[in-house]
Amino acid sequence: MKNIIETSKLCKTFSNGGVQQHVLRNVNLEIYEGDFTIIMGASGAGKSTLLYSLSGMDKPTLGSVSFCGTEITKMNTDELALFRRSHCGFVFQQVYLVESMSVLDNIMAAGLLIYKDKKTLINKAGEILKAVNIDEALWNKFPTQISGGEAQRVGIARALINDPKLVFADEPTGALNSQTGKAVLDTLTKFNEKGQSIVMVTHDISSARRGNRILYVKDGEIAGECNLGKYVTGDKERHQKLNDFLATMGW
Amino acid sequence: MNKALLLTKSNLRKNRGTSIGLFFLMVIATCLIGISLLIFMDCYPSVSREAERLNGGDGYISIAGNVDGFTDEKIAELFEKDTDSYYAYHDLKLTNHPIKFGNGEVVISVDICDDSAFERITENYVYLPYQFNTSGGFNTGDTFEITNSGKTYSYKVRGFTNVVYGGCNNTALFALVIDNDSYEELWNDTHEDYENINVIFDLKEGVKNGEFRIKAYNELLKVNPFAVIEGYDIDGVISNRTFIGLIIAVSFLVATSLIIAAVAMMLANSISNYIRENMKTLGALKAIGYTGKDIKNSLVIWFSIIAAIASIIGIVLAYLVMPAFASIIIGQMGVPYAASFNLPATLIPVAYIILFTLIVTVICAAKVSKILPIVALREGVESHNFKKNHVDLTKTSLGLNASLAMKTFFGNMKQNVITFFVLGFMIFCCVISLLLYENFSRKPKLDILATEICAGVVTSDYDTREEVLDYLENRSDIKNIREIINMNVYYNDEESLFCYIVKDLSKMNNTNLCYKGRLPEFDNEIAVSGSFAKAYGFDIGDEIKIDYGDNSYNYLITGFIQTTNNGGREAIFSYKAADHIMDIDNIPGWYWFDLTEESDSVDENIDEVNRILEECEDKYDNHIISTMNFYKMIGGAMTTFQGISAMMLIIMCSISVVVIALILFLLIKSLVYHKRKDYGIYKALGYTSGSLMLQTALSFMPSVIASAIVFSIVSYNVANPYISVFMRAFGLMKCDFAIPVPGVVMIAAGLTAVSFFLALLQTRRIKKIEAYNMLVAE
Repeated sequence: MKNIIETSKLCKTFSNGGVQQHVLRNVNLEIYEGDFTIIMGASGAGKSTLLYSLSGMDKPTLGSVSFCGTEITKMNTDELALFRRSHCGFVFQQVYLVESMSVLDNIMAAGLLIYKDKKTLINKAGEILKAVNIDEALWNKFPTQISGGEAQRVGIARALINDPKLVFADEPTGALNSQTGKAVLDTLTKFNEKGQSIVMVTHDISSARRGNRILYVKDGEIAGECNLGKYVTGDKERHQKLNDFLATMGW
Repeated sequence: MNKALLLTKSNLRKNRGTSIGLFFLMVIATCLIGISLLIFMDCYPSVSREAERLNGGDGYISIAGNVDGFTDEKIAELFEKDTDSYYAYHDLKLTNHPIKFGNGEVVISVDICDDSAFERITENYVYLPYQFNTSGGFNTGDTFEITNSGKTYSYKVRGFTNVVYGGCNNTALFALVIDNDSYEELWNDTHEDYENINVIFDLKEGVKNGEFRIKAYNELLKVNPFAVIEGYDIDGVISNRTFIGLIIAVSFLVATSLIIAAVAMMLANSISNYIRENMKTLGALKAIGYTGKDIKNSLVIWFSIIAAIASIIGIVLAYLVMPAFASIIIGQMGVPYAASFNLPATLIPVAYIILFTLIVTVICAAKVSKILPIVALREGVESHNFKKNHVDLTKTSLGLNASLAMKTFFGNMKQNVITFFVLGFMIFCCVISLLLYENFSRKPKLDILATEICAGVVTSDYDTREEVLDYLENRSDIKNIREIINMNVYYNDEESLFCYIVKDLSKMNNTNLCYKGRLPEFDNEIAVSGSFAKAYGFDIGDEIKIDYGDNSYNYLITGFIQTTNNGGREAIFSYKAADHIMDIDNIPGWYWFDLTEESDSVDENIDEVNRILEECEDKYDNHIISTMNFYKMIGGAMTTFQGISAMMLIIMCSISVVVIALILFLLIKSLVYHKRKDYGIYKALGYTSGSLMLQTALSFMPSVIASAIVFSIVSYNVANPYISVFMRAFGLMKCDFAIPVPGVVMIAAGLTAVSFFLALLQTRRIKKIEAYNMLVAE
């Protein structure tokens, strides 16, 4: 299977008032194309730090990250910005839509970084919004005028607008109730089934079940890995496999 | 209070940028108010103070031309009755002599005394009035020359004097002191024509200065009708000496008031912003038990500390820079000046800044008491914010950066309104300075400074006046010869009017002279200065009784003229009208002429007029009493104006740039703080720092460009009427100063470019925002 990301001895240390905290320790990892990779772990284990280091949003202290063969750890901030707009999509726990922009403009603001033809972009934004089940009546609403679940699905649409090689999702259901969370996961699953590669951080088992590959982070290291195969609704055997893996990890 | 102090300490530590920005704005505001007040309360009155210190008395009268009959006894008889004391002395008075001064020369009466007041050390020296040093370009050791009847007298400048009368080019007289030997030589050569008696007097209580002088003039003329009697009261001298200083002080105050308005607007906005930015912290403090009063006190203490320190530093700075400002003004007034401590000028700016800050803080902090902790913790957002989606990205034809900049612009209206007005005020200040520079320096607007403009003047004696006129009229290189003489006439035996007597008023070049009504045409008509008419309640169509010697005549007022000279007491009428009160035929010939072909080069004009005047003097020799090269005189007369107005322009443009920089610093700092989350999101999406900086700087451009356009047009149209309001006090009732359009465009374009550049510099803080930190922190 073709890998998208490859890390080598990835380390991240935070220093605060002379106290050093080693959040990532020599992480060697590969992320594969078409996978729905889940990063799990206890609070403070380094899940989000790993996610943002992989995406070039944060710079590791040591080690390297290669994205499709290009080492992004050597890039400066502007090069990383150009890299992100072309290759990455982000879905955040707090959504982070720009509140002063309408739903559609939030998508457009991301899309216009890549698309020069506005008509094509508008059509594509419409298709994606429909695909994430955002009713057309909501397109001109502001983020504060729609529900949390709807906002998160708009966030997914924004992440997908530029056809990224990889979508990074940081606890996308963390701030949602179970019903709206499920709708968001269904959306991500649907796009993964169409071939979209996703890396998602979560500490929720039901969310983790959506992935085909589970990475468990413990004390800044990849403590274990579990391959579940493609998600199938109600596959109890798959669920049990995940539960067993997590139990061995001390979850 | 301890809790409030604790919070204040935390505020000062946490908000260094805001504190520093506000601090500098307050320093500038205090400094500008301080300078304005020091100019008005300390520098400007220095002429009056010096006059009092030097015991200048109530005025002086000079008797020149022919002093026969003015014995000491006669003078005592004339002056003892109405004066407490008087002091009379003989000297030489060279009337209307051209003297090198500054960038040209001035034509002025020169009063030359011997050195009886000084110890004799070296021979052949001169003491010049102090203004020769401050504005005239002379230093000790320089050579000072005066020419009379083709003979040049040279003196080494030994020092400068501080004299009440004859110390300034605006008082029509320079008083010089030369060594005894030189005086004897000059006396022998010239005393027959130029012997003069000066009488400086102190009036008895109850005696009116104007009435006394008119009475004295008449009495003196009875002793010798061929004497030329002139004089000034002390108020007139002070007014003339301080005229330009006052224009500058007023212009500075006008500009300063606009800058202070902009600074005050910004102070209020910054304090209000601070409260908005820190709402979450304030909510947390309330949640843990701090009362609204504690928080308000901390804000009041914090801003008061900044205001107190800034205002003290500002006023100290005002005293430090005052010598530079004062040198501009005293250069014209010609008195030595050292800034002294002035209590009101010190306390008012400090009190103003502290009180203003206190009031704004208390008003803005009032909302802290009302807000609930939970609401404050949500950063004061109580409900969803339904806004209009400005600049729809699906519909706009603008580029991405421009579209997002416009979105920021519409979402940041309050700041943009402030930018609009602040930049506008600065443009207006600069245009006012440009107006002063253009009209007092680059292309001096002579028609507001002189009653009539010409290329040169030739004065011939009575015997040759017809012959000289024929000669001038037959020359092809000159045109429009006007016969204009000056005389002092009197109104009601209480006010002296400096009168222009013109043979043919239709030939006058200065069409701006009469600002209301018309110039006189017939022999029973007169036009008087507006300030004189206002003082005595005259209107157009009224009759006015004019006296000269024993003669009187009632004239009809046809119009009002504007003048900045002679204390605003001037009048103009025709030869025929003058004939009612004086023997107009028995006077020398005064011929004002223009060049047939005027060059664009002042130097060429000076040379051309010099050639004409020299040829005239060669032809008529001693019959030519005096000549005046107007182009050359402009340089000397405008010397003080030029330096002042050029410096004003530089100062105003510099202050504008500093104020714009500080205000953009505070506005952009606040904007970046408010939008930090958005910038984090944009960066996560792949926007570069450069693109976000450009968007932010561009978001201020609509208000900057709108302000530049609107205020350029407003300033261009309003500057003249606006400055008229202030100039009325100086006798200029109708201002039509030239405002060069390219200059206004340059100011507007320059400040727009500077604003964009400064905005771009200020947005550098966006670089520090990292998407990851911003998102994780949230």
